[in-house]
Amino acid sequence: MALDPTSPPEVICTGLAKTFDGGLDAVSPTTLRFAAGQTTALVGPSGCGKSTILRMIAGLETPSAGSISIGGAPPAETLQKADLAVAFQDPSLLPWRSVRGNIELALGLARRPIVPEEVDQLIRMVGLDGFAETRPAELSGGMRQRAAIARALATQPKLLLLDEPFGAVDELTRQQLAQDLPRLWEARGTTTLLVTHSVQEAVMLSDRILVLSPRPAAVVADISVDLPRPRDPELARDAAFTTLVDDVFSALSHGMAQSHPPLVAQ
Amino acid sequence: MTALQATLSAPGSQARRSLPAILGLVGVFLIWELAARAFEDAFVLAGPSDVLAYLMANQALMGRALMVTLSNAAIGFVLGNLAAVLLALIALLWPRSESVVTGLALFVFCLPLVATGPILRVFFGPGEWPQILLAALAVYYTTLIPLLVGLRAAPATWFDLVRSYGRGRFAALFHVRMMASLPYFVAGLQIAAPAAFLGAMVGEFTGAERGMGVLTIRAMRALDVDMTWALASVATAVAILVYLVIGWLARLVLSDAPPVILAAPRASVSGRAAVWKSTVNIALTVGVVLGVWWGALAVLDVSPFFAKGPADVFDALFLAPDAATTRATLGSALIDTSVLLLPGYFAGLLAGAGLAMLVVLVPALTGIAMTLSIALRSVPIVTTAPLVVLLAGRGAVGTIVLVAVMVFFPTFVACLHGLRQAPGQVMDVLHSYAAGPILQLIRVRIPAMLPAFFAAARMSVPASVLAVTVVEWLATGNGIGSLMAVSASLSDYDMLWSSVVLVSLLSSLGYAAVGAIESRVLRIYAPEQLA
Repeated sequence: MALDPTSPPEVICTGLAKTFDGGLDAVSPTTLRFAAGQTTALVGPSGCGKSTILRMIAGLETPSAGSISIGGAPPAETLQKADLAVAFQDPSLLPWRSVRGNIELALGLARRPIVPEEVDQLIRMVGLDGFAETRPAELSGGMRQRAAIARALATQPKLLLLDEPFGAVDELTRQQLAQDLPRLWEARGTTTLLVTHSVQEAVMLSDRILVLSPRPAAVVADISVDLPRPRDPELARDAAFTTLVDDVFSALSHGMAQSHPPLVAQ
Repeated sequence: MTALQATLSAPGSQARRSLPAILGLVGVFLIWELAARAFEDAFVLAGPSDVLAYLMANQALMGRALMVTLSNAAIGFVLGNLAAVLLALIALLWPRSESVVTGLALFVFCLPLVATGPILRVFFGPGEWPQILLAALAVYYTTLIPLLVGLRAAPATWFDLVRSYGRGRFAALFHVRMMASLPYFVAGLQIAAPAAFLGAMVGEFTGAERGMGVLTIRAMRALDVDMTWALASVATAVAILVYLVIGWLARLVLSDAPPVILAAPRASVSGRAAVWKSTVNIALTVGVVLGVWWGALAVLDVSPFFAKGPADVFDALFLAPDAATTRATLGSALIDTSVLLLPGYFAGLLAGAGLAMLVVLVPALTGIAMTLSIALRSVPIVTTAPLVVLLAGRGAVGTIVLVAVMVFFPTFVACLHGLRQAPGQVMDVLHSYAAGPILQLIRVRIPAMLPAFFAAARMSVPASVLAVTVVEWLATGNGIGSLMAVSASLSDYDMLWSSVVLVSLLSSLGYAAVGAIESRVLRIYAPEQLA
């Protein structure tokens, strides 16, 4: 069944598991459901397998077991129609192309028409006005991340996969990006999956948080984030926000404790 | 900054950076002229003024010869590089073929030009094709290796990006690999340009009617010192010019300087499955070599008197009544050659690495070293063989010196690059303990240099074989080089083809042996190189 051309897709992973060559279990059999048009964060300790889940949904890794449905279609079909886009932790901009060139590359790869005015508008939206013809080497880390997000949004994907997209930038830039950029995909009602190891970022950006255990990844908590939108940095001082952060932290600690019991008994 | 980067840096500071190079160049000319005056009576050395005077007096002759050689080298350069691109694309798009493609390419690269020249002459007659094909043969491997490295020199996420839009390996090739490999390709082209000129000249040595190679043979036979030096100078100047022009063109299209190319080593084989895979690959490569050999002879349909197939060579070496004599002759020639080749090879490696270390310890030498490394990296060394023969004589010393010189230059450039690649943070740790330059060199810089050193050592194996066979052919009259030349002139094609097979096989084995030592050393000092 093809993806509904007008609405964002629901993503369902059934019994999804991944064992790498050499026997490393990255993801234990897990069933996940990501609601259409929502932003869901996957939070977990480093190396727990959250990026592997995202890469399997993106069709960049083949699951060892289980299946993935994106609006009723397998990832390969979604890939062929270029209905999804990934923003990686590393901005992965091609150094020989300008900001505009990198955005146009995505349109070209997705076989979408290049409309210069739309590209300009996207560049303005991510705050890179005046840097359209600049090459990545001349941009700061935050600017490169903005360009990478603009590239991911250029094809107007129905499913947006963000793999620690703010992981390589400083704290201030990270806060700024976390405040500005969600408005871009929220306005389009895109189904968004965010992988992060920052609990505050997950609470700030998402509608729902899935807390994962250490490797092999399994869901240890499913936390709904009922905070009003748009969200700004002031929200971080709100009691509801801090309660959610505490909930996520305790779920993370619980998952860690189950996986790694204390070395010395008290 | 490497010498290469110095030539390709931004134009703003070009003049300031060029000053030491210009001073170095003036110094070289001055020393050369003074030496020529001092040894005027020895009749071995012509100074820059003598060369200039000769060129002025014979400009028409030299101009015509230069144009012929240049045109042969240019056609060979284009054909060789096209072949390299084609082979690299086959290896890339059909990864299982890579070890066979590179194995075959190495074997063909190891074919001694001294023997392939006469054989091609038989196939193609007195025209230009032998020179063109030898130029192409001299070029394709030096482009193929960096190209294979460059086509993979992109982060995995760039390929993930392409795949995330549902596109496959052709889109990745077009959008990512081609541009990512461009600096490596250009670096390969820069090395290939003088090699093409060298190939064309060696081709002309083998009985062409026109060209710089023909004049070189004539000058050597006539003991015309001025002409010999003039020819070597022109060859050198042209090679440097082409090298710089390619660098200049690269600067127009690339944002970064071309890298100093280190041919990536193979991971050393371990485990039963890996040994089995490696054995299958070697068997496949041997099979492809034999198939290509048979196929080429069948297609070209040359008289069996000239064209010997694998069965003929096997027959000559093992079954024929005079097989034992043939083997004894070949064995004796190979021993003669090894006695000169091995000391020259190791002396070149030691001198190259040693001078690079000296330059790092004495930064004041950097200016002259940069000039030397740019100039010498671009010189087709074997074309200066007649000069070495003039200066060092036709005996063992001249041969050893030429082999050492052939190995020295690439080793020096690669080692200098490697020594400067020492990680800054590790150097800072040593600085923080007030470690002196010698300690820094031993503890950090030399280990950082090892990948570059071994890459140069590996690539120098076929180069040193080329050098020793050319000198034996042109000057000493000993060893396998001379045996091949004599066999060609006596129409002893059994011996000629047997020599070619043996020399190519031994060169390939030498290359593989250095590669095996390299893998073991790098596993300790630079495991990331084997990833």
